Amino acid sequence: MVFKQAIILVVVTSVLAFGVNLISPNAIPYIGNYRSLYTGSGPIVPPEAQLGDPHFIAVDVAELDFSSSEAVFVDSREPQEYNCGTIPGAICIPFDFLPEGDLTPYFDSALGYISRDSRIVTFCSGEECDLSLHLSRNMQDVGYTDVVIFFGGSREWEKYELPIQRRIQCDE
Amino acid sequence: MRRVIDHDLITLVTRLLVGVIFIYASYYKIVEPAAFARSIWYYHMVPGTLINLMALFMPWLELVCGVCLILGVCYRGAIVLVNLMALVFLVALSTAIARGINIDCGCFKAAQASSESAWEALWFDLGLVVLTLQLLFSRSRRWMLTRV
Repeated sequence: MVFKQAIILVVVTSVLAFGVNLISPNAIPYIGNYRSLYTGSGPIVPPEAQLGDPHFIAVDVAELDFSSSEAVFVDSREPQEYNCGTIPGAICIPFDFLPEGDLTPYFDSALGYISRDSRIVTFCSGEECDLSLHLSRNMQDVGYTDVVIFFGGSREWEKYELPIQRRIQCDE
Repeated sequence: MRRVIDHDLITLVTRLLVGVIFIYASYYKIVEPAAFARSIWYYHMVPGTLINLMALFMPWLELVCGVCLILGVCYRGAIVLVNLMALVFLVALSTAIARGINIDCGCFKAAQASSESAWEALWFDLGLVVLTLQLLFSRSRRWMLTRV
């Protein structure tokens, strides 16, 4: 009896759900076109990576870090590129503009004095750019213990239609 | 304990409460299926091709079961389905929190990033499970349109 009732309810629900969607102004396609962030191929690792470098993460892991709001995203490109489009909430720390000497006070200030075991995700524009690798090595040397590199960068992020923060309009 | 579970008035109040919660929860999802679909996607638990089907089906199942609970129609079937749904919500929220996907549940509105409300939603859902289990084991059949 219980099983029979459950089947009846499921059938009635199916008719209502899929029937109403046919005439609803807020109808959605029955089969959605959702990107699968899990690529199966793992993170992009550049050939210049060395043993002891921070871990490289794939876009699905980067997105999880982004969703959790517990990771600090660091854009290693110049401010101009950062302003053209970056991962929302990312901090701009251009590798090319790092000061000489001890980087500890610089990173402390730029990262808002976060603890050394905070999750930090560095990224650049994409596979052709290794600034995130160099920046993360510097951060690791200073003592940050949970630095990871999203080497797919802003291009792979955009490819999966994840949100991008644009401060200025730029020509492609 | 058995007397409490089988108590007519307690069962009626629980029935009405759970019914209203499920009907209320279904409202935004039926009105805004696209937003609810995105909430489901946020959990990273359902294959992409099934997300929209689930986003269309689940809220109507909540509505139908909520109405059945309140009226006492197809009651046993509705109770089983309501318990299954509460269990699914519990597993989804727990695994989302365990994987660090700190979002609210998307139970009554579109899911958003929020670490505190994920835990709040989990506690709320645990309370809901207690209520639905009471209904599952209660033998009271008073104040229902049908007796089965």
